[in-house]
Amino acid sequence: MEFPLDLSGSAYRDVPFEEKERLLDEVKSDLRFQDVMYGCYECGICVAACPSARFYDFSPRVIAQAVAREDADLVYTLMNDSIWDCSQCFSCDRCPRANSPGGLITIMREVAVNNALQTARKALEGYERIIYKIMSTGTQVSPDMLQPDAFPDWGTHVHEIADNLEIWRRALPPETLHTTETGWSIDDKTIIELYLIWHMTGVMDMIKGVDEGLFMILVDVMEERLEEAGYDVEFE
Amino acid sequence: MSDFIPLDVINGGARGRKFEWDTARAPTEDYHDAVLQLEKEGEWEVQRVPEPYIEVNTRYGRVKRIPIERTWHHKSCGQCGHIPGYSTSIYWLNRKLGLDYLDPKDQTSCTAWNYYASATSNPAAQASVAMRNFAAAAETDYFPIIHCGTSFGHYKEVRHELIHHHELRRKVRDVLSRLGKKLVMPEEIVHYSEWVHVMRHRFAELQTIDMSHITATVHPACHYHKLEAEDAIYDPEIYGAQRTAVITGTLQAIGVNVADYSSWYDCCGFGFRHILVSRDFSRSFAVQRKIEVMKEEVNPDVTVTHDTGCVTTLDQSQFAGQAHDRKVGIPVMSDSQMAALAMGAHPYKVLQLHWHNTNNKPFLEKLGIDQAQKWAEFEAACDKLKSGEKKYLTWEDADA
Amino acid sequence: MRMPSSDILVIGGGPAGIQAARGIADLGYKAIVVEKRDRLGGMPDEAGYAALTPDMRDTGEAIAEMVAPILDNPGVELRFGTTATACTGVAGDFNVTLQKADGAAEDICVGSVIICTGFKHFDPGRETQQYGYYQYDDVITLVDCERMLKAKNFVRPSNGEVPERVCFIQCVGSRDRQIGNEYCSKVCCGVASKEAIEIRQQVPGCRVFVFYIDMRMYGYWENEIYWPAQEKYKVNYVKGIATEVVRKGDKLIVKGEDTTLRRPMEVPMDMVILSVGMEPSEGTEAMAKVFGVKQNKYRFIETIGGALDTVSTTVSGIFAAGACTGPADLEDSTSSGGAAAMKAIACVRKANTQIPA
Repeated sequence: MEFPLDLSGSAYRDVPFEEKERLLDEVKSDLRFQDVMYGCYECGICVAACPSARFYDFSPRVIAQAVAREDADLVYTLMNDSIWDCSQCFSCDRCPRANSPGGLITIMREVAVNNALQTARKALEGYERIIYKIMSTGTQVSPDMLQPDAFPDWGTHVHEIADNLEIWRRALPPETLHTTETGWSIDDKTIIELYLIWHMTGVMDMIKGVDEGLFMILVDVMEERLEEAGYDVEFE
Repeated sequence: MSDFIPLDVINGGARGRKFEWDTARAPTEDYHDAVLQLEKEGEWEVQRVPEPYIEVNTRYGRVKRIPIERTWHHKSCGQCGHIPGYSTSIYWLNRKLGLDYLDPKDQTSCTAWNYYASATSNPAAQASVAMRNFAAAAETDYFPIIHCGTSFGHYKEVRHELIHHHELRRKVRDVLSRLGKKLVMPEEIVHYSEWVHVMRHRFAELQTIDMSHITATVHPACHYHKLEAEDAIYDPEIYGAQRTAVITGTLQAIGVNVADYSSWYDCCGFGFRHILVSRDFSRSFAVQRKIEVMKEEVNPDVTVTHDTGCVTTLDQSQFAGQAHDRKVGIPVMSDSQMAALAMGAHPYKVLQLHWHNTNNKPFLEKLGIDQAQKWAEFEAACDKLKSGEKKYLTWEDADA
Repeated sequence: MRMPSSDILVIGGGPAGIQAARGIADLGYKAIVVEKRDRLGGMPDEAGYAALTPDMRDTGEAIAEMVAPILDNPGVELRFGTTATACTGVAGDFNVTLQKADGAAEDICVGSVIICTGFKHFDPGRETQQYGYYQYDDVITLVDCERMLKAKNFVRPSNGEVPERVCFIQCVGSRDRQIGNEYCSKVCCGVASKEAIEIRQQVPGCRVFVFYIDMRMYGYWENEIYWPAQEKYKVNYVKGIATEVVRKGDKLIVKGEDTTLRRPMEVPMDMVILSVGMEPSEGTEAMAKVFGVKQNKYRFIETIGGALDTVSTTVSGIFAAGACTGPADLEDSTSSGGAAAMKAIACVRKANTQIPA
């Protein structure tokens, strides 16, 4: 997100080195790590294929190399100033060493979220409603999100969709698509199962770290529906 | 200019070179072996691809089975939410061929869009969501077919993680048992465009609209052919098996001229978080690296892709491009929509093209479709909904 | 009891096999050389290399010089159009079945065997590498380039025009975990640089680029090829490998990263030359099975002595030399051919003293 990216290692001098090492260790101890990071001889194949490298001062090679060198200072800088630029398209998976810089970044982002780094909070600004949608309804986007103020750059047809939303949804032959608040209609029992998964896998703790307000709203919604379904579950 | 091109000197030139698979040298483990081995060890059940199926080759020449019917349609958030003619066309194709399918409500999103966008998830949660959906499919005895490229790619990631990490398997098994569900892995993870690909000749048999004067470009979805790259479909007859065969094979079967362009391998610019909160990036990339390149190099009538995010980004980004006088204006459709259109599906009642952004009227007119007439038909159908004469448009109405 | 044979079977008439046969004859033993082609010279001859690396000697001339001592040599029996199809027995006393192309078979007795069946060039289209080898006429390999240089007709295969911009892409089929060839093929940096010089000599107006990960110009290759390529012939070396090759108009576009500038690059080229690495030849794979010697994970024949014995295999009395044991340059191949001759002779001498007549 910074341009140009400061790779000197001096950007976060005030953060104790031990803290940076701890975060690097957290990245390295992830179960996916062994499949995404072997070693790097800096061939640049990942960069050439990378869409983000074209528009940002972003380099999957630098990220892979920093982690391969176990350079905690540099990794910390990248975790703060660079990883959210990645498109997660996995074009970099062509790596001849079989690294996946994109997969590595998935892990680094999770560590940033788990540790509630400022960068994670910042990156997710404006994204809260999407987290709310996916976690509470089980679909990521819904027809009623197509509002002109949300997508001003998508042009006048968004107005038209918004104006005709209800009728146009009923004009869809598949029965499951008559919804406006979710992508398709999902059984109540299915949503309950999804909430139980969030509960059992610790996802809500991650949300709490980066967005306490969103966490509270989600908990209210989920606990109520779980209770109705006969589950006594607390997200704390 | 030399008067002698030494093609004979260099083995007859590129056109004479022949691609041959040697599965013995596939550099990866065969996931089939691992999936079936874990079944033997009692770690999970394996849901078999229902017969009859069609066998195709994947990247390293291994065989993948694609079901024809008894399919459980794992829907896509973005398709259903914002471009609903995409999934409607998939169902329409099934119905047209009289195939048995199930459009379940006991299905959640794979949640991978959020996983890649915000990282507010973890492997156990992702694998639990995947296996919950797979278990729900197995309970119906219909076989999962995945509409979204990202769901497809992500579920393959999940499969890889579950195969290699027994502690993750144990955790997910515990979660599922709490939900009263078994751990069931499908024998194959199948993308809908693979089904479209294997059915393409049957679509061609039922084709009513000539497309031989149409030029299309193809955008293969990153999460289809790059993420867990192995089990995407390849065919020596299509780009010498150097690119995935899906979409291109389908378009060729319905007579469309597929034109190559120099940024075919590039991403669309979706970016997961970018399309929602940093759209300047998505727009710039889609317009400058994809649409303009296609326009300048081959000026296609349409560009065809096979994933939610790609249709959305390539299509919606053109509006802003137009405002900035960029060379844009290429309609974007899915392979399912193109196949349905070739077979005479209604452009608005089935393809639902009014949800798309870029002007597709000239394309429809070029196909000899009276789009104004078709739109009037759709509006008339909507009037019936508005007046309360009907609650919903049915499949019968769609073909009326 | 049958007399054990002191003859030594050499399989393959390339540089390693020629050198082994010559050594065996020079030391007073008899070498039986079987070669499936109808001539000696091995890959440098078969593939039509223009000049050898690193000394730029004319290949035909150098191979003729190598071959001469074993032609009309009473200590060397040459059998062309022949392969080995079966082997029984033990060190000092092997019975090997030889077969002619027409199917005629013959069993011979030998005391030891040296396998010199070499490598094949990596097929750059096989692994969906996106270098367009099967799609674009102007994408060629090092081998194709050798032939054009040898014909003194280095032009764009697509239209016969003299190229103005040409590049080499290094490590194609080598150093790649996804392809399964993790090893370095050892010679491609030198060969590409040698060809780059030859292009600059034959087509002085053509700019030549080499996209590389590391340039591996060990020993004298550094001063004999690499530095002259840079300093005298102004070949452009760019650290960063290509991700894909596509066509735009009548040009090829090479997409990669210029890692020095830390930016993606897209450069137009008239021709792209893929520096393909080595894989075991079909003959090597077949002979490993016939003689029951172990292959390593890359399917080259495994030698068991590490750095101290480069020619002994897992079967006593069966030796291997040259590129059938792994990527090898000409120096390696001739050296190990000689070493194998010595080991094979030691083997038959030992067997002859141990087994009573």
